[in-house]
Amino acid sequence: MSSPISPISAIQIPDMVRPAGASASGGTFQDALSAAIQRVEGSSQEASASIDRFLSGEGEELHTTVMAVQRADLTFQLFLQARNKVVSAYQEIMKMQM
Amino acid sequence: MSLFSVLSIGASGMAAQRQRAEVLVENMANAETTRTPEGGPYRRKDVVFESSRVASPFSSVFDAQVDAVGGVAVSDVVVDPSDPERRYMPGHPDADANGYVAFPHSNPAEDMVDLMGASRGYEANVAAIGAVKDMIQRSIDLLR
Amino acid sequence: MQYPPAMLDPVAGQLEKYMDLLSARQRLVASNIANADTPGYHALDIDFQGEFQNAVSGPPGIVEVSGLAVKNDGNNVSLDRESRLLAENALRFQVASALLHSEIQNVQSAIKEGSS
Repeated sequence: MSSPISPISAIQIPDMVRPAGASASGGTFQDALSAAIQRVEGSSQEASASIDRFLSGEGEELHTTVMAVQRADLTFQLFLQARNKVVSAYQEIMKMQM
Repeated sequence: MSLFSVLSIGASGMAAQRQRAEVLVENMANAETTRTPEGGPYRRKDVVFESSRVASPFSSVFDAQVDAVGGVAVSDVVVDPSDPERRYMPGHPDADANGYVAFPHSNPAEDMVDLMGASRGYEANVAAIGAVKDMIQRSIDLLR
Repeated sequence: MQYPPAMLDPVAGQLEKYMDLLSARQRLVASNIANADTPGYHALDIDFQGEFQNAVSGPPGIVEVSGLAVKNDGNNVSLDRESRLLAENALRFQVASALLHSEIQNVQSAIKEGSS
């Protein structure tokens, strides 16, 4: 079974992305990040499952599968953009402190 | 309910109508055939259509609801069992002792109309396959 | 069957459902066309609007078409009706898929806009 979108199992976010002073066990930012990863994971799994059903001839309509894939793709793209923003914001902050 | 299996339905319709056309053409071509290898004059043939389930080689299950709905198949080709038509033609090589020749029951006008019906049915199935193919293509295009 | 609202406007779920019903309907049209000359066969259809308004999703119910003339062999398929429906279903499917396509592209653009 091949999936067009590989599930994200772990993203290494540098510790210092968290606002200074936030506790190690996560403030709201950490929660938001986890929730986002969950959404990507969930939609990616749904897409894989839909593809499986389609390929095994279980009567899954093609457009249903295509839409599941698109939704997963959009979720992932959005997550990527958000992550990129977070990383560049971190880099900005690091530059400022130098 | 996959659209792919609908292609099989259209294909079964095409095949059935084609068989029907073949039989009709055979009837028309043999309208005057007085001698056959089996002995006796040509006997008209008729196809019997029956709705059939259609299984796609890619499908693992039949949909519960649409199980009874499907394509069509020629379940039988029946040969006309009735007595042949007898015409008085004493000089004919196939004439019997009394000068009568056995001919097939021919009805070229009816056969022609039937053939047009088979042709129209065939075209309609072709159109169905085309429309469904387009729908599948549209779903694929959603990925672009 | 789920129509998850994730990432796209809820109308996307409706469009998907619309396309599902159109596919089911087209399957019956194809069956009717294939069986246009089958003795005793009655044309089948789904109650499209009824199924579409129905909040519960699942395979639609199949009904016999009413008001069709029955031929001598018991068959009541009208190739005119089926050909018309064939074209109509295909066109509606085109419309729905085009709308979905543009929905997807809109969201993609919105995501990419945010990247600058």
